[in-house]
Amino acid sequence: MRALRKIRLRLRSLFHRSAVECELDAELRFHLERQIEENLVSGMAPGEARRAALRAVGGLTQYQEECRDMRRVKLIENFVQDLRFGLRTQRQAPAFTAVAILTLALGIGANTAIFSVVRAALLRPLPYAQPDRLITVGEVRSEEELSQSLSPESWNASYPDYLDWRKQSKTFESLAGFTGDGFTLRGAGEPETVTAVQATTNFFSTLGVKPLLGRDFRAGEDVAAGPYAAILAHSYWRSRFGGDPRVVGRSIQLDSNSVTIVGVLPAGFEFAPRGNAQLWVPLHISGDLVTRRSLRWLSVIGRLARGATPVQARAEMNLIAARLAAAYPGQNGALRMVMAPLRDRIVGQIRPLLLVLFGAVAFVLLIACANVANLLMARATRRRKEFAVRIALGAGRGRLASQLLAESLIIASGGAALGLLIAQFGTRLLIAAIPQAVLDSMPFLRDAHADPMVLAFLFATMILTGVAFGLAPAFEVFNRNVGTTLKDESRGTSGGVRTRLRHALVIAEIAFSLVLLVGAGLMLKSLTALLDHNPGFDTRRLLTFSVFLPPVRYPKDPDIVRFDRDFMDRMRVLPGFVGVASTSVVPLTGGGNTIRFAIEGHPTATGQENECDIRDVSAGYFSMMGIPLVAGRFFNDADDTPAGPPRVIVNQAWVKRNLPGEDPLGKRIRFTYSPTEPYRQIAGVVGDIAEAGLDSAGEPMLFAPFRQDAGRFITYMVRTAGDPGRAIGAARAALRNADPQLITILPITMDQIIAQSPSVFLRRYPSFLIGSFAGLAVILAMVGLYGLISYSVSQRTRELGIRMALGAQPGDVVRLVLREGARLTTVGVGVGVFAALMLTQLMRSLLFGVSAVDPLTFAGVALLLTLVATAACYIPARRAMRTDPIIALRYE
Amino acid sequence: MAKSTDLVQGTLDLLILKTISLEPKHGWAIAKRIQQVSREALQVQQGSLYPALHRLEQQGWIEAEWRPTETGRMAKFYSLTGSGRAQMKKELATWSRLSAAINLVVQEV
Repeated sequence: MRALRKIRLRLRSLFHRSAVECELDAELRFHLERQIEENLVSGMAPGEARRAALRAVGGLTQYQEECRDMRRVKLIENFVQDLRFGLRTQRQAPAFTAVAILTLALGIGANTAIFSVVRAALLRPLPYAQPDRLITVGEVRSEEELSQSLSPESWNASYPDYLDWRKQSKTFESLAGFTGDGFTLRGAGEPETVTAVQATTNFFSTLGVKPLLGRDFRAGEDVAAGPYAAILAHSYWRSRFGGDPRVVGRSIQLDSNSVTIVGVLPAGFEFAPRGNAQLWVPLHISGDLVTRRSLRWLSVIGRLARGATPVQARAEMNLIAARLAAAYPGQNGALRMVMAPLRDRIVGQIRPLLLVLFGAVAFVLLIACANVANLLMARATRRRKEFAVRIALGAGRGRLASQLLAESLIIASGGAALGLLIAQFGTRLLIAAIPQAVLDSMPFLRDAHADPMVLAFLFATMILTGVAFGLAPAFEVFNRNVGTTLKDESRGTSGGVRTRLRHALVIAEIAFSLVLLVGAGLMLKSLTALLDHNPGFDTRRLLTFSVFLPPVRYPKDPDIVRFDRDFMDRMRVLPGFVGVASTSVVPLTGGGNTIRFAIEGHPTATGQENECDIRDVSAGYFSMMGIPLVAGRFFNDADDTPAGPPRVIVNQAWVKRNLPGEDPLGKRIRFTYSPTEPYRQIAGVVGDIAEAGLDSAGEPMLFAPFRQDAGRFITYMVRTAGDPGRAIGAARAALRNADPQLITILPITMDQIIAQSPSVFLRRYPSFLIGSFAGLAVILAMVGLYGLISYSVSQRTRELGIRMALGAQPGDVVRLVLREGARLTTVGVGVGVFAALMLTQLMRSLLFGVSAVDPLTFAGVALLLTLVATAACYIPARRAMRTDPIIALRYE
Repeated sequence: MAKSTDLVQGTLDLLILKTISLEPKHGWAIAKRIQQVSREALQVQQGSLYPALHRLEQQGWIEAEWRPTETGRMAKFYSLTGSGRAQMKKELATWSRLSAAINLVVQEV
């Protein structure tokens, strides 16, 4: 009640000011008249009565003022007045205002843009029910943990293990598995390749997602016989089926199976680990995949049971893993359980990048604020006579501070408004600069926009900066004595808090820009190193695409081999096709199968055999790819036949890990998944190639001839004479001639793979951004330095005039001015180098081929910044040199 | 011109609240009433009275209303609000405690 009344009264005082004033006037007048009446009654003459009353009443105006004070409205009114005055002041100095607003707008705009992306990726909750309860689980081998490419994104489990987890775990309400797949879709238009996900039937219920149309998968639908049900992603439903709601219940053809569409996912659904999935089918596996615990291929996520903590879940899963290891020592003996929040699996890769960018852009804001504070302070110094006069006329210091605050808020508001535009544009640009493949794996980034929370951030930044740099000049005014200010105007003295503060600001700006420059330098160096990095094979003019041979048309291995031979022959004769080979996994893209093996004469305990990646390649693979031979020989056509001699080729990393110091040629290994596997002789050793991405180190790798164990999914690699992108049409035609039913799956050139690869993106993106930030920072810092030195020169005109009159040469004057700038620069660079030494540690995970404390980068950046700073000081120094002593001395 | 220093700081509020606790009064009447009841000992200056009234109104302890006086002229009448009455009781209690304590000290000799 009371609070309400107070608010009402205050609002009335504010907005019905004239009415309130009238009342006040009437009230006091009433009082005065009663006093006069009383005086008249006591026998005074009318004139005397009035005079006495006025005397008794005292200063009416002052009472009114005090009453107004009591209404607490003056504060607000004064501030409005200050704002008006501030606006007038800004209009008088448009250049100053423009520079200040633009500086802030760039700082605020860049910050909000980055924050929008950070928010979309790191702060927004995942679009699932209680996303914090979702965990990703996997099993890994100890040697995989040595590899840098192991991260939650690549954790997998074998199907039988997954089933056991599901059966035994009490801490998980549900555990769901999924794996990527692809189909040729027929029906509803031209056949096309679709990317799909096979998932256990409880997948969507584990996430807490319900289909928009139709139904979820039903228990029992994940059977070996084939995919009978499919759920469409919303976007694919729109693009392929025109958003037709009657699509539910319709039949389509996936590869050679007839499948019923049972549901459509909601528009907002996303699942980053399979961000590009167009449709979802129940898991439909058979054979080895169902039974072999050594085949780890299923990604597993779980929802914690009510009341269970991640710690309890971890303890329980470790227990289950130990139980499984005891029961199946041969297959599970070397496996260890790993767990992480689902969010880690989704943003783990981009988190360090975004945090580094966020830090970098915060520096830009700091520099912008320092710069504007500097500008304001320089102006406040020029205006100190105005302030002194106002203080002398009775303005309270609080009033002056409030006016300065109002002025900085005007600038901050202008900066924020313009910054919002920059932010909106910038956010769009930031997202557009991300390659499609990376966006697919982080679909949430498409959602980045300046939403209310980002606006709140913008506004908070604005208020903070407004207060921060508004107070700086205000402090200065407090610290000066009015009399002194009025007297010693332009007496040419420097020093004091004001100058020291401005020096500190410029030093900070230089230091910050050095940090950013070092960051940009390191990123750029990483990018160059990465692109120059030899991946171990020739990446130029390479085209790759895959073909899937459905079992209906190609039931047995000989059918596959016959197709492979025929198709390769057709391609070899095509004009512009220099070389043709096949493999099971395209280099630089990662993934693929692993195999456990035992080396003859190197006994190992059951279950502790080594495991490494394996690739099935055609005979000409190595020479076509340009992979160097280190020892022995490549596969030949005699090896690459179904009945060829059991031979393998290994890479150098394999030799280093498994046969250090021994001659691998002629040694024999055996795959341990089946006791009937023959011993295979090592025929050759080849160079390591980057398999998981340009930045990946060579991992131990085995190669086997493709036709000895032909798979249905074959990836062809073609070296072309000209642009490989143009060869797709010819390859497609050749495939149509070989079998009109087949289609080329995911045709892409190696250059495209590299350009879109996360490893390049993780360097190119921040190189570009931190580079821009650093450029901006250096410009701002140099404007700050230039302004400070110019101001100092103008203040010292008289001193310089005396020096020149006493015989100082122009060179001496230039040196004098430059020395002042050099002092600031040296301190700034020193502080910056120190700060950068610590801060670049934080971006170590993004660097490639360069140390976080790379001396060359540090030295180069420090030198560059010193040169630019000297240039910025040289301009005012030249002006100082041209000082005419006569004019300088007459100046006052 | 000088503000009334005859009143102990803060007691003016109490005097005003007490004076209007029986019936609403306008500023002039409040001043007169305090003067009369205190047998001319307490003179409330307008310079103190009106700012105090406005402050009390702003606090929500009193509310104002324009209405005619007995002579038919319009004047601003102040009356206690519910929270004003509570505030008055609080201040009265404080005041009795304080004055009793002061009395004890000054009458001890």
